Amino acid sequence: MNHLSDFSHAGKLRERCARWPGAARAVIALFVLGLGVASGAVSQTIQSPPKATKPATTAATKVTTAKAAPSLAAPVKAYGSKDAPITMEVFSDYECPSCRNLFENTLRPMIGDYVASGKVYLVHRDFPLPMHKYGYEAARWANAAARVGEFQSVEAALYDNQDAWAADGNIAKYVSATMSAAEFQRVQKLMAGCGSTTSAAVHSPQVIPVAQSSQTCALDAFIEADRAMGTRIPVQATPTYVISYKGQHLPAGSGIVSWPILKQFFDSLLAQ
Amino acid sequence: MTNNARSSWGRILLLLGRLGLAALFIYAAYAKMRPQGGLPWSLASIRTSLSMFAMGVDSYQMLPQWAVSPFAHWLPPFELILGLWLLTGIALRVSSLVATLAISAFVAAIFSAYERGLTISCGCFGPGEQIGPLTLVRDGLLFLPLALAVTIGAFLIHRKGSGASRSEAAAPATPGSE
Repeated sequence: MNHLSDFSHAGKLRERCARWPGAARAVIALFVLGLGVASGAVSQTIQSPPKATKPATTAATKVTTAKAAPSLAAPVKAYGSKDAPITMEVFSDYECPSCRNLFENTLRPMIGDYVASGKVYLVHRDFPLPMHKYGYEAARWANAAARVGEFQSVEAALYDNQDAWAADGNIAKYVSATMSAAEFQRVQKLMAGCGSTTSAAVHSPQVIPVAQSSQTCALDAFIEADRAMGTRIPVQATPTYVISYKGQHLPAGSGIVSWPILKQFFDSLLAQ
Repeated sequence: MTNNARSSWGRILLLLGRLGLAALFIYAAYAKMRPQGGLPWSLASIRTSLSMFAMGVDSYQMLPQWAVSPFAHWLPPFELILGLWLLTGIALRVSSLVATLAISAFVAAIFSAYERGLTISCGCFGPGEQIGPLTLVRDGLLFLPLALAVTIGAFLIHRKGSGASRSEAAAPATPGSE
């Protein structure tokens, strides 16, 4: 009988229980009440479709969108075939260590496996964070490289050498090493008008450059377009990834996920 | 207020607390298992949702890789069973204790992730909820005390019930009691 519920004992207990401790009763009442309020809030949070809210990391950000020169078509920052059943969009900042971790340990094996076999289309989205001195500039270089068809090698070089260029800001050194001199010249031309965006941060570490976009840098339009897309999700941290299967968007995930776990998820999607 | 009235209130509050806790676990299981991205309900879509939950578990970076998937596939069914168990009220002391331990483990995991600066999805009620102070407050200062209160209440009622049984059993042996 000891294993029966308090409810089944109700009749006997009504007679037997001398008194219920007042404090315990008050505590239970308080939390039951609180639970009702919280579960309502939770339910609302979970069930509401994601709306464009202010991302945590850009609370003080005032984005200035640069206008792209009409001659510049959107650069392709992607891997694989657009016809793949699964599309994975990754919002990242080249200076973010977790983004590097995700790229090196998860996306790289994925590119060699599921992207190569046409199962996944991987898209890079720029989401440089204001807290990183050179993140925005690195995104510019990557966009310029994408315009000359060298995005993949430059993205790999940026992540491989993140510690080095994040310390001294010499991104050009690693970009130039991935391509021919002629291609690098084209990239440099595209970077014309972009200048260095880091002086404010270097001279006054307390002042973080706001959005770092510039009216004179045509490449910024592509970065801002990605950021605007991320803000709508909303991206609250990097890396954040959005996976869609046959055009259906799944809820965004963030942080590091290992390749075997991600692969298992892709397999379950492909088995639908 | 008479003793009987007080004990009635106690039982009502315990019942409400137990039902709240049961609803919490059942909803948490449902939110993790429900199909995402417009997929229809099927075993395959549930498996996809659980695989998605595994990605969330992995992002906590607490479990070895081999344990992530089994844990993620067993936790929601466990939550569902625990919720149903709480709902029935059978062996409430045990079920509420298990619920308290489970919530304590969840709070510890969330706190650890928050402490390490991980900006990841909580995964508590399906995908999408970012870990933050609000998550900690909700789980640590609301759900955990609720589970604790139900556990304490279940033990108190059991003790009082046992005490009364012993008194009744001893009563006939007392001379002149009848």
